[in-house]
Amino acid sequence: MPPIDAGRLSGAPALKAFLSTRAGVAVGRAAILIALLGIWELASGTLTSKFWVSSPSAISGMLLKWTNDGSLWVHLRATLSAMMAGYVIGAAGGIVMGLVLGFLPQLQRVLAPYISALYALPKIALAPLFVIVLGIGIESKIALVAITVFFLALYNTLDGVRDVDRDLVRALGLMGATRTEIVRKALIPGTLPWIFTGLRIAVRYALTAAILGELIASNQGIGYLIEFSAGQYNSTGVFAAVSVLVVCSVILTEILRRTEAFTQRWRL
Amino acid sequence: MQRNSFAAAAGAPADGVAGEAVAATQRKIVLEGVTKSFAGRGRVVEALQPLDLTVATEEFVALVGPSGCGKSTALNLIAGLISPSQGRVLYDGAPATGTNYRVGYITQKDTLLPWRTVAANIGVPLELRCRATARSERNDRVAQMIELVGLKGFEQHYPAELSGGMRKRVALARTLIYEPETLLMDEPFGALDAQLKLLMQDELQRLTQLRRMTVVFVTHDLGEAIALADRVVVFSARPGRIRVVRHIPMARPRDVFRARFSESFGKLHE
Repeated sequence: MPPIDAGRLSGAPALKAFLSTRAGVAVGRAAILIALLGIWELASGTLTSKFWVSSPSAISGMLLKWTNDGSLWVHLRATLSAMMAGYVIGAAGGIVMGLVLGFLPQLQRVLAPYISALYALPKIALAPLFVIVLGIGIESKIALVAITVFFLALYNTLDGVRDVDRDLVRALGLMGATRTEIVRKALIPGTLPWIFTGLRIAVRYALTAAILGELIASNQGIGYLIEFSAGQYNSTGVFAAVSVLVVCSVILTEILRRTEAFTQRWRL
Repeated sequence: MQRNSFAAAAGAPADGVAGEAVAATQRKIVLEGVTKSFAGRGRVVEALQPLDLTVATEEFVALVGPSGCGKSTALNLIAGLISPSQGRVLYDGAPATGTNYRVGYITQKDTLLPWRTVAANIGVPLELRCRATARSERNDRVAQMIELVGLKGFEQHYPAELSGGMRKRVALARTLIYEPETLLMDEPFGALDAQLKLLMQDELQRLTQLRRMTVVFVTHDLGEAIALADRVVVFSARPGRIRVVRHIPMARPRDVFRARFSESFGKLHE
């Protein structure tokens, strides 16, 4: 038996080397996807009923149909616009509020329990409320997304401001920086990593909130598609809509991740 | 702060401790009967017991002592970052109120802005409104400073990419670039190799002489203190006490490279 290398697991060194390359990773991921889809396709109809599980071929067929008759874009646009609008409003509000509360700790302490209580409210409870107040149009969806993103952005920004090294602030003060200069040169750049983290996390929750709003009351959007298909016991439709969601979420998160990586080069 | 104390120099045999001998107008920094206690978790930690220290204008004073005897606390008091529990801190005759931005403070822990490159970090003091400088002049001076501390080629690196010694050098450059009238230095050359240390010591004493800076320099290294300072204040091990204060009569400008070999150095070191 060859001796075990203490630092590494033995076995298939060529495979490991391959997987360390970018091409290797891509191939590995594709392989998993193909394997899963393959198993799914083979199992449906044979191991399980097509009715409940559908199959990749049927799902792609459905997606194709939706693309061709234009309904995919209509619904996708509805969901994405609700999500984007809510995201921007919520993020802006949350970041600003987070910075303000970060710079005014006394105010933060006074407001903390109220913010915490609002944050603890489950969105499922808020959704019908927004529908009653704002109607079943896009406004209630935007509100739901906005409030979800708001709290995430707020808390992460707040943590970020607190996390800025106080010695940096003191050092700048000793050099003669005014309070504004300290904010601009130390507090804001120092908080940015946390803000980005908050924004990245918020993407998935924003999408979820948009879908939730559509499930409760809507006539458009991916959530509507899910609800509509489910109501007709059309599992293919449900899966198709969900897969669209997954792709959206991945793309948006990836965009944010790359932006973050670029601006945060200094973190190594 | 660690638990520590200095006792007053009352009865210390030193020469040059007597602040009264220095003309009032010449006293840059005065600590009178200064104590500092930190309260926390129901306990009171006394970091400094009554301390009297006077630094004359353009004087180079070295504080030498083991770790944790309150040297950093003393520097923080002079910088105005904290105020004494008892006693007074005077700067230019006036009581210190809040952060004193006429001192440049090089702390033990480097406070570089991690999101800025080396060049951008060094340029920070010149960006501030209180001494706004034109960009071209700023770039020139930054380049000079980088050359001075031996970091040529690293202008675009981020602090996370540098070694501890290199970061210290950036911090030094950042403080020296705006030539504050007083310099407080907390073991600035500790992390440097011997050769660079000598070079930096030489540059420091040249620059401080040229710009007529008042310097309070904290170090472990007695040899370094003697080579650089006009007056050395030595603290004994915990509980720290001013053990001796000596004038260094060696002529200025000092040649730090040769200083260790001179006769007086040996005698002073004893």
